[in-house]
Amino acid sequence: MTKQQYRLGIDAGGTFTDFILADRNGNVQLFKAPSTPHDGTLAIRNGLAQIADAIGRSPAEIIADCDLCINGTTVALNALIEKTGVKVGLLCTDGHEDSLEIRLGHKEDGHRYDATYPPAYMLVPRHLRRPIGGRVLSDGREYSALDEAAILAAIDYFREQQVQAVAISFVWSVRNPSHEQRAMQMVRAALPDVFVCSGHEVFPQIREYTRTSTTVVNAYLSPVMGRYIERIDALFEELGAQQPTRYFQSNGGLAPGAVMRERAVNAINSGPASAPQAGLCVAQPFGIDNVITVDMGGTSFDITLSKGGRTNFSKDSDFLRYRIGVPMIQVETLGAGGGSIAHLDDFGMLQVGPRSAGATPGPVCYGKGGSEPTVTDANLALGYLADGALLGGSIRLDRQAAINAIRSKIAEPLGISVERAAIGIITLVNLNMVSGIRRVSVERGYDPRDFALIGAGGAAGMHVMRLAEEIGSKVVLIPKVASGLCAFGQILSDIRYDQLTTLPMRLDDQHVDLEQLNLALHDLRERGMANLRDDGFSTGNRVDCQYNLEIRYLGQIHECNVELSCEQLDRSSLAALREAFHQRHKALFSYSEPDSPIELVNLECSVIARLQRPPMPELVIPAEPCAASPVGHRPMLFSAQDDWQDTPVYNGDRLQAGQTIQGPCVIEEATTNIVVPPGWQATLSPSATYRLTPGD
Amino acid sequence: MNTVDPITLAVVRGALETAQREMTLTLEKTSRSSVFNLAHDYSNALFDHLPEMILQGQDIPIHLGSLIPAMKCVAGFFGDDIAEGDVIYHNDPAYKGSHILDCCMYKPVFYQGELVFWTVCKGHLTDIGGPVPAGYNPDAKEIYAEGLRIPPVKLWAQGKRREDVVNLLLTNMRARAYQEGDLNAQYGACSVGERHLIELLERYGVEQVRACIGELKDMADRHMRALLREVPDGCYSGTAVLEDSGHGLGELSITARVEIRGDQAHVLIESPPQVPYFINSYEGNSISGVYLGLMMFAQVPPPYNEGLYRCISVDLGPPGTLCNAQEPAPHVNSTTTPMETLADAVRLALEQAAPERVTASWGHASGINIAGHDPRNGNDEYVTMVLASIISGAGANQAMDGWPACGPLCCFGALMSGDIELLEYSYPILIHRYSLMADSGGAGEFRGGSGTRLEIEPLEHAMTVVGFGEGRQLPTAGAAGANNVLLEPKLGRLIHRHADGEESHYIQNTLLTAQPGERVINVNPGGGGYGDPLRRPLAAVLADVRNGLVSREGARLEYGVVIDGQGQLDEAATRAQRAAH
Repeated sequence: MTKQQYRLGIDAGGTFTDFILADRNGNVQLFKAPSTPHDGTLAIRNGLAQIADAIGRSPAEIIADCDLCINGTTVALNALIEKTGVKVGLLCTDGHEDSLEIRLGHKEDGHRYDATYPPAYMLVPRHLRRPIGGRVLSDGREYSALDEAAILAAIDYFREQQVQAVAISFVWSVRNPSHEQRAMQMVRAALPDVFVCSGHEVFPQIREYTRTSTTVVNAYLSPVMGRYIERIDALFEELGAQQPTRYFQSNGGLAPGAVMRERAVNAINSGPASAPQAGLCVAQPFGIDNVITVDMGGTSFDITLSKGGRTNFSKDSDFLRYRIGVPMIQVETLGAGGGSIAHLDDFGMLQVGPRSAGATPGPVCYGKGGSEPTVTDANLALGYLADGALLGGSIRLDRQAAINAIRSKIAEPLGISVERAAIGIITLVNLNMVSGIRRVSVERGYDPRDFALIGAGGAAGMHVMRLAEEIGSKVVLIPKVASGLCAFGQILSDIRYDQLTTLPMRLDDQHVDLEQLNLALHDLRERGMANLRDDGFSTGNRVDCQYNLEIRYLGQIHECNVELSCEQLDRSSLAALREAFHQRHKALFSYSEPDSPIELVNLECSVIARLQRPPMPELVIPAEPCAASPVGHRPMLFSAQDDWQDTPVYNGDRLQAGQTIQGPCVIEEATTNIVVPPGWQATLSPSATYRLTPGD
Repeated sequence: MNTVDPITLAVVRGALETAQREMTLTLEKTSRSSVFNLAHDYSNALFDHLPEMILQGQDIPIHLGSLIPAMKCVAGFFGDDIAEGDVIYHNDPAYKGSHILDCCMYKPVFYQGELVFWTVCKGHLTDIGGPVPAGYNPDAKEIYAEGLRIPPVKLWAQGKRREDVVNLLLTNMRARAYQEGDLNAQYGACSVGERHLIELLERYGVEQVRACIGELKDMADRHMRALLREVPDGCYSGTAVLEDSGHGLGELSITARVEIRGDQAHVLIESPPQVPYFINSYEGNSISGVYLGLMMFAQVPPPYNEGLYRCISVDLGPPGTLCNAQEPAPHVNSTTTPMETLADAVRLALEQAAPERVTASWGHASGINIAGHDPRNGNDEYVTMVLASIISGAGANQAMDGWPACGPLCCFGALMSGDIELLEYSYPILIHRYSLMADSGGAGEFRGGSGTRLEIEPLEHAMTVVGFGEGRQLPTAGAAGANNVLLEPKLGRLIHRHADGEESHYIQNTLLTAQPGERVINVNPGGGGYGDPLRRPLAAVLADVRNGLVSREGARLEYGVVIDGQGQLDEAATRAQRAAH
């Protein structure tokens, strides 16, 4: 850290905006202010006022004393959910104006025979998708020349239609961008006030539909993002910030406003993307670098995975029904929060979620009009939450209401006891979560038993130990700042730019062109370094480059991602690379074909400028540790076979570092609640994290 | 059975779904042919020891029912001679397969020495030998002229791959390396499924898992019965007409008679005698057609298991008829034609009983296979079905317009067209056009979904093209008063555009060769419309015209909406036009 005192992370979520302020002495403080979706600066001002009160300095003094202010925002995400992006015109290759609407001819699974499931909303209606003559072939050769007259006509139409953004995406532009470049030039010259982006820049890899869709989403959202950034940047400038505000991207890295306003698509799922950083940081004092983070809030449950300190990414995946190519941290999001509704399905089977009662009306026990039992109601019925407890200062939990709802909606129709039904609800929501964990682990070729689970969000502490038992994980870590883990992750993040390209090439010794391959790797790295220089980075920071090669057996269509451990390939590292691919294929799909030829398709280089991190908290272990004492007891039920047990309740604020307590018990923290099941034990470590382990 | 713990039941169901999903994932990610990896023309299922289907994914509906009789037939064929580590392969319709391109792998799953499950993976290989690449031989008069028939045969015996048998199969197929890659992928899928099922058994034991599976089937049974109880008792009949797609026998019709009594249904199919043309449907495939018609009507949400069909009995009519074909009837086209017509007939019959569930039909498949030698790749032979060519429009219903480009009927949105760049990278072709077509959706208050037009030019080689399917003479059936005036744009076509611009149009299935500089154009029909088109809101017609999905002529003739050259509504003329009808 430089001479400044603080680093500030601001995570604007749907309900609350979280603030994490870290200082040079290892103090990490969490603040929360209600979000203000129409003008994000309001919530930030309110939060800063709280912080100012708490530490006795003015907002301007605090901001001027920050080395970095970091903002994670859902502005782009919300615009995509609510369809409030700008009017976009698309220039595309003649004959392929409908790829966006054909969507590969597919209807999503889960709706096969449902006649009322509507098609996806078109971000660019057909009349604004203008076909342009001119064609490039798969090897990059020009087949027919660009039809500039058609571009001019399209520009006239766009002007008349008052489009606010133009996306340009031509077939095979990834192999030869000259047509797209010329079209950009023409559009920029004719429509100087309109936002323009093109496929070969936004997602320079093979797959026309993916690239066009990604480019369109970017055009649809970037002007909205730009307006937001303008306000935020102005606010921080006014407060005397030393550095441009950094924005959090879906790839887990930071970028300044000047970059983000051009690439809003890179931020559409940035909210949960900082969890892996935070999880790795929480695990670091324990010497653990394989972590699965599970963030359970009121409505959803987000899972991420990092192995050996590296985080899983998704590419070319559907997000809110739109195909997105650019790499994003793989976040498995389930409708499995505390508000998930338990119900009986068409077949009469108990199901939990994906419908959620959300914050309004919320669970039955909130007494705000909810009538369908939720996971929170089951947690309350089983005693994991305290009857009558105050939530957020205003909602008082009503246990009897929860029990009544579970009885009438679940227990009686199924002919089982309320206890059994409540345990069943918890079991099923846990099952959904385990299935989500499998998607980030087993389906990616990782054994979940090799990972620690990191619990985040207000509700995870009541479930995560059961998840660990299900997947065979041996340790669970829950930091005291669990409910603000994403904002915490932001202050630990680095500057990151991902560079992509497509370079089809067979990788056997006979066909490989190592010179061309190494040149391409070098080029990607240089592009990333140029981004860093534009961003004001000098040689002072540590810069890491990570290379990923996407490889497949000749004839396959999907690639396996293989990491490259060196910057230059030679014959021997190439052989190692091939071997790594065969192994990866076997781990994922149960077999490999060591004798079959393999081919490289895509290259990726992530250039990461490492920022110095603020120091982490260090609680002092008392010289003479004493036994922890509970603040009370209440009856809880842990399995359908057991009886109710009078279970101790501890106040987290009164626990000392180094103290170990045995389950069953509950640890109540200010913003989270940890249920330690029978057989488990919890130890508060000096890093302000609870380490939970099952007995033998 | 009734004492199954509801929570364990839900857990077991979740584990089965995970096993099935990961099988599908494995197949998609590892397979070689575009029919598997781009188009998803495959299905994965789990069977119990009986063997009854306990879970099928949301894969291709064509395979929906055919796996059920096929599994029983294959297990019966080997009887006691099934050992741990065996893997069985099969495609033959005389053994309840669908068509010979759909090759199916069956892996028995043993636990503690006992056969408990089967993992089953069926997929459309790109070639199965025979005189015509990709298998669709319109000149075949007998099944022997279509390709390799594979009766149930072991590819692995007690864990050991039978190289001689595998070699026998692959030697008979074009583009051998692709077929072998796909066979490996199927093996991977079956093995991944097996891995999950063993984990499930280790956790809950055979007895408990079996009890849960019994209950899952019973629940599906109860669900379907409850649905049938809501349908008034009676005998209902539906007839759908199949155009002459090249056999020269004229139009054929298929009738379904559905008798509903309480919570049971009996389906009787009447179809003409089998024909010496590749549209005969054997039992396994026809059962799929009946089930698809039923599912279009019932709209049952997943998961799907055999219990759903327990209350439904099916009589496909006398042996030797179009829908109950016997060897040696040629059959390769049967998974689309006449399967889609059969599904329509069943759906139409059921709709008689419950008019509130009426929907329009989806575009039937009218498509092409291509084959040739790839000059970029040492002239290696390639062959594939172009699934993008059969993506038709979906039918409209009383809630909404049909989805564009979501068919054909027999796939119901499960298929994928594949990315243009991936297709051009995999095959030496240039795809000049893949787009929606004006006026292709059936006219109605709710418009049918638009069909697609695909234009392909072979690059630096001569390309063989094989047409299949139908929908080139009769437009997709609408419902509830839908009415087409412009017929031509609603029909499928196979067009050969020569270098001089001259076009040959084909309404029958045919083989042709295209040269560089020429184009093969495949047009796929749109979906049927729903309701009187004159009641379609003006704003919806205006938007369609602006978006080029309905022409100005179409707006006037089909919807009675007059739009001027500037795209503005002529209100007076529209009133007059709509009143005149």
